[in-house]
Amino acid sequence: MARFRLQGTRVLAVDLTGDSVKAKNGAMVAYDGEMTFKKMTGGGEGLRGLVTRRITGEHMAVMEVKGQGTCYFADRATEINLVRLTGEKLYVEASNLLATDAGLRTGTTFTGLRGASQGNGLFTTTVEGTGQAAVMSDGPAIVLRVSAATPLTVDPGAYIAHTGELRQQLQHSVGWRTMIGEGSGESFQIRFEGEGLVYVQPSERTTIGGQL
Amino acid sequence: MSGGPVVGGFGAAGGDGGPVVYDPYTLPADDNVNPYAFSVALDGQWFLQKGKMIAYYGQVDFHAIGYGPLDRLVAANFHSPLHAADWVVAQGRGKMLLADRSYDINSYDLDDGNLTIRSGNLLAFQPGLALKQSIIPGFLTLIGTGKFVAASNGAVHFVEPPIRVDPQALVGWADCPSPCHHYDHAYLRGVLGGIRAMTGIGGASGEEHQFEFVGAGQVLLQSTETLMAEQATGGVPGQAGPGVPGAGAQGPGAGPRFGR
Repeated sequence: MARFRLQGTRVLAVDLTGDSVKAKNGAMVAYDGEMTFKKMTGGGEGLRGLVTRRITGEHMAVMEVKGQGTCYFADRATEINLVRLTGEKLYVEASNLLATDAGLRTGTTFTGLRGASQGNGLFTTTVEGTGQAAVMSDGPAIVLRVSAATPLTVDPGAYIAHTGELRQQLQHSVGWRTMIGEGSGESFQIRFEGEGLVYVQPSERTTIGGQL
Repeated sequence: MSGGPVVGGFGAAGGDGGPVVYDPYTLPADDNVNPYAFSVALDGQWFLQKGKMIAYYGQVDFHAIGYGPLDRLVAANFHSPLHAADWVVAQGRGKMLLADRSYDINSYDLDDGNLTIRSGNLLAFQPGLALKQSIIPGFLTLIGTGKFVAASNGAVHFVEPPIRVDPQALVGWADCPSPCHHYDHAYLRGVLGGIRAMTGIGGASGEEHQFEFVGAGQVLLQSTETLMAEQATGGVPGQAGPGVPGAGAQGPGAGPRFGR
């Protein structure tokens, strides 16, 4: 199986021994050994996946990298975080996903209003199976555990990914004061309940809700 | 978690060489999680700049300044009238994470002291401190005892006066040195110098102008000359009148306003 490791915090090195890995198109910065790069149309879930991704806006340009040696990936000097999956599901924005083990299945799910409030659309990408995935963040991600006794509330702009059995719920407190410019600046929040891990970045994307 | 309820013990996180996993009990109390994020152990109130909270555990409410149940607290600690729209009060109990565009975050303790800081760099402060607008436009002064959190582009360095610093590298200063402008006039003397000064031809080094500090205290510098986005400090109210720096020159309805 491909072995993912970090070279510093902003470069992902993947050791390949004849197997393959899926990565964001154009994210390869260097390689050592023999590699072939094959563009996968539509994110690599066949025709149905391709259509779904087009419709939902969660399309990613993905390539399949196969070969012997070490391949290095990086994207705009963003921080890279490794996530090891053992059967569970990782929910991540397509724009934050750098590479996944070839054995992992990717898909698209509906997120509801949370997506809209983050400016990321109504859908998110899921990664499922056993293997490793590399997730990008602006600044090193902080992993926060959610349990039944300790629900977590996150700013939509700082959220990047989560795993586990989590229910998410958009909280908002938009009142007439928001309209006259006296909002609290934290009007939109996502509350996570259940059991799982949430990845947040120390930075906020500009969101529609962000200024409220 | 200081003073908070502790229910059951979680495993301390981490494990199998993966990333460190934090929960409310393992998050640091009033300390940095990493160089770019700060964890506040909230038990009461903190003042925050809008939009700098990235996540929290526990029960926390965010109140805009200018109305609501915290009027008295705001009156005692917040003296920057036109700045109020950029700040909120977080009230409640729990752990709260603060971050700002993945800049370096540092916390500072003031003990019956004062510190003046560029307005865009200040993220949050404890109610033990009072926030006031500095006489120098674009800067805020914190007075009192307590902790505050500030962001900088690159790590912050503390230096002692006398020192001259580049305007863009200045983050703030503590304990009253005398901030003033310094120009290298020697460079601009004579006819050639005059042409240089007016046209820039002949090479200005870009370092002819500095801020000068003398006296006892500390000056805070960041390690780049890239400024953080300027946060409106709100001008001085227009009716402040002549003699007040910045009066009538900033804020809505710019332009001098005399005799109001």
